[in-house]
Amino acid sequence: MKLYYALPADDKKALPPLLPGEKKMYCLPYNYEDARNVNGFMLFTNRRIFKLRDGALLDTWDVSRMSSFSVEKMFGCSGLYAKVDGITTCLCLFNSGRNLPRYSVIVSSYENITQRGDDRVLVSNEPERFCPKCGRPFIKHTKLCPFCQSKGKIYKKLWGMTRGLRLMLLFPLVAAIISLVLRFVVPAIQRVAIDRYIIPRNIDGLQGFILVILAIIGCDLFARFISVIQSRISATSANRFTLMLRSILFEKIQSLSIASIHKKSTGDLMGRINNDVNVVQNFITNLLPSYLTQILSFILALVILIYMNPLLCLFVFIPIPFAVVFILLFRKTMSRRNIRAWVLARRTNAQLQDTLDGIRVVKTYGNEEAAVRDFTTNTGNQSRQDESNAKLFDTVFPFVGFVLRLGSYLITLFGNLWVFHGTMQVGELSQFGSYSGIIYEPIMQITSIPRNISAFSTSLGKILELLEEDPDVYDYSSPDYKRLEGHVSIRDVTFGYDSYNPVLEHINLEVNQGEMIGIVGHSGCGKTTLINLIMRLYDVTEGSILIDGVDVRAMSQNSLRTQMGVVLQETHLFSGSIRDNIRYAMPNASNEEVVRAAKLANAHDFIVRLPEGYNTMVGEKGYSLSGGERQRVAIARALIHNPRILILDEATAALDTETEKLIQDAIDRVITGRTTFVIAHRLSTLRNADKILVLDHGKMAEFGTHKELLDMQGIYYKLVMSQVRQQQESGK
Amino acid sequence: MEDMELENLFERRESVRLTPENAVFTRSEGGLISLRLSHPEAPEKEEEFFERVIPLRGFPITDPEQFISVREPDTKEKGRGAEIGIIYDLAEFDEAQQTLLRSELDRHYFTPELLKIYSVKEKFGYLYFETETSAGKTSFVMNNPYSNFRSFEDDRIFLYDIDGNCFQISDPSKLDKASYKRIEIYL
Repeated sequence: MKLYYALPADDKKALPPLLPGEKKMYCLPYNYEDARNVNGFMLFTNRRIFKLRDGALLDTWDVSRMSSFSVEKMFGCSGLYAKVDGITTCLCLFNSGRNLPRYSVIVSSYENITQRGDDRVLVSNEPERFCPKCGRPFIKHTKLCPFCQSKGKIYKKLWGMTRGLRLMLLFPLVAAIISLVLRFVVPAIQRVAIDRYIIPRNIDGLQGFILVILAIIGCDLFARFISVIQSRISATSANRFTLMLRSILFEKIQSLSIASIHKKSTGDLMGRINNDVNVVQNFITNLLPSYLTQILSFILALVILIYMNPLLCLFVFIPIPFAVVFILLFRKTMSRRNIRAWVLARRTNAQLQDTLDGIRVVKTYGNEEAAVRDFTTNTGNQSRQDESNAKLFDTVFPFVGFVLRLGSYLITLFGNLWVFHGTMQVGELSQFGSYSGIIYEPIMQITSIPRNISAFSTSLGKILELLEEDPDVYDYSSPDYKRLEGHVSIRDVTFGYDSYNPVLEHINLEVNQGEMIGIVGHSGCGKTTLINLIMRLYDVTEGSILIDGVDVRAMSQNSLRTQMGVVLQETHLFSGSIRDNIRYAMPNASNEEVVRAAKLANAHDFIVRLPEGYNTMVGEKGYSLSGGERQRVAIARALIHNPRILILDEATAALDTETEKLIQDAIDRVITGRTTFVIAHRLSTLRNADKILVLDHGKMAEFGTHKELLDMQGIYYKLVMSQVRQQQESGK
Repeated sequence: MEDMELENLFERRESVRLTPENAVFTRSEGGLISLRLSHPEAPEKEEEFFERVIPLRGFPITDPEQFISVREPDTKEKGRGAEIGIIYDLAEFDEAQQTLLRSELDRHYFTPELLKIYSVKEKFGYLYFETETSAGKTSFVMNNPYSNFRSFEDDRIFLYDIDGNCFQISDPSKLDKASYKRIEIYL
């Protein structure tokens, strides 16, 4: 992300000379002043801050007299604040979406300068969200600017992807051209039949007539044959193309780090795999050949018509300008009405989903009537709009059709006049009529072509963008699989999901093999983040994490994670049987191993009591397990491959005392011989912990045994006391 | 300081109702707002002075002058944005303080009025606006217009853009016809 913008020339002139030892560090735009838009700049050096606008120096601040830098996000804009000689001052106001992350870096940097005398220039790894050329935002989750992206580059890439399918993709085109030729040949043969045999009542030439009829039948058969082949081949090519695109996309997504996946939503990724692939495939295998043949047939028909009879050809074109103008004008109304109908339909759907999801709430508050009323209003609006649209469209389209037909009436009229005068033959007229029909077809499609092309290039862009993304957690070398022992040391680790906003700062931890470490702290203090770093779902920003003396970045992600057992806070069970879920990490585990893991996790008893035992289906469509049961299945899943390092993120949801005890026992049993990290919400979980780490706002606040921490009477002591108090109160 | 942080982890200050009897707002030296808070009901408590306070509207859209939460700045060092008290109705205070608070609130809730809409282009699902607002010429980009246009019962319309800005049309009937037509279909 850009942190040094170039100053405009006249602002540069207004800038006073730098002091000795002073260096320019950042230069950012600011956007508002006294409720007006402005184009000002803030220039930040290690010693001073300048505010410049329109060639004037508006303000200068001396950093040595400043403290407490902060950014405040307000409604509609954000501000940079600091204390100057102890008095809070607003330095400038800026656009939140564009500049808040940038100004946050400034705040961190000045914290470094004022508190630690560290004036390094910070860089931001945040991706730029705005097009460097035109300043407009990129399409969400991509680096594509709809105004500046080069189309040629995209199409070139697409061509590269079609390797192996090209012949198949070419065939629809060839087939379309063949059937196009046949469309032109048949009227020509018909003309021969009419002029040579039908009109002169040529009975002697019966043989010839039969031949001509056979030729027509032959052409028809051939056309159908070609079309069957074409459909079959394009079914194959379309599906192979989809398969190919989908599998490379899915493979790519699986290879991305959690960090880059988190930046996209599941919906967005699913959309790319499903919709975008379909749009691209449909365009390439269906729309493109059809557009090409239509253009071709239009040109061909035009040339033949002019060649046959230039004057009559003029009549074909008379209605076209009217029709085109009309269609283009009507397109606006049409799209407005369609959008409106779509909005109303969406509103009905949203309300429907909202109410059905919350049906319990509706019922408990006795609000059924209001819900019905709302729904009737929405669905009524929708149906009225749909009705009016349907009426209008069904009135207008036949009329457009009529206008287009005007040409053929003129042809019939004047053509027949010529026929009566003997300057034209009936067959010729009939052939002419058939060809003129071909010309009208593409015109009806004028409205959909630009829309389809733009939908195609957007989808294609989104797919390519995903394919080109670099995984940001790399396997640096190809390290060997090494059996872990479980000694973990965390050395001066600092980490932030965004580089300017550290979630963890200067964490130091030595954990011996087989120890159990409890991690506590209020929500948002970085507990889960620390766990994610140990699993190397993210790479640390500073410092290092060593397992058995080896930096985790030097281990392959696969070998690292297959030796860890993880129970996440939200226990996601996949659709499948309980057995499949337990042996997720080790698909070839024997039943004995599955049962052993389930017993360790205290899950065996409830599982065998289910009607279908370990074969019970769970997940989306299956048997719904209770929270405590799911958790125990998840613990069993984490244990199946006998990991040396176990990570438990305790669920926050309250469980009944008995279930809690079952889980507690399970945890006590499974930690023996493994290095265990437990994020605990119920401090009773930590009875057996060797050491407890208390995190506060990303910093190590306290570290020691349960007893040591109690003696300190710090945060941990207060947490324990408050939970004890709660328990006593609920006990009463 | 360490001790204070621990205190704050569990004990927040008790929010009080702010009235002219216990609260005096003044402009701070830095151009922001300071508050002097006394405790008439508990004479043993000392008068407090806050160099800077942040007023926030409880109902910014429907009742902008009522239930204003007055808070300490949300910084890392102190207070962590605790609420000092609530103004039930701005009208309880004298003119000068009302103006002072209103100016700070308006600065915080920056919603320029849309005066003219020159063009609205749709490309790739984004809407590109060229407009004239009370803050000057503004171009902005909106994604998903169907959730970023918000109409209220009193006919007001809010438009939210991709950068977290908000623009308002307080009376759509006063907007010129051409401008209104450009946004009509999204309403």
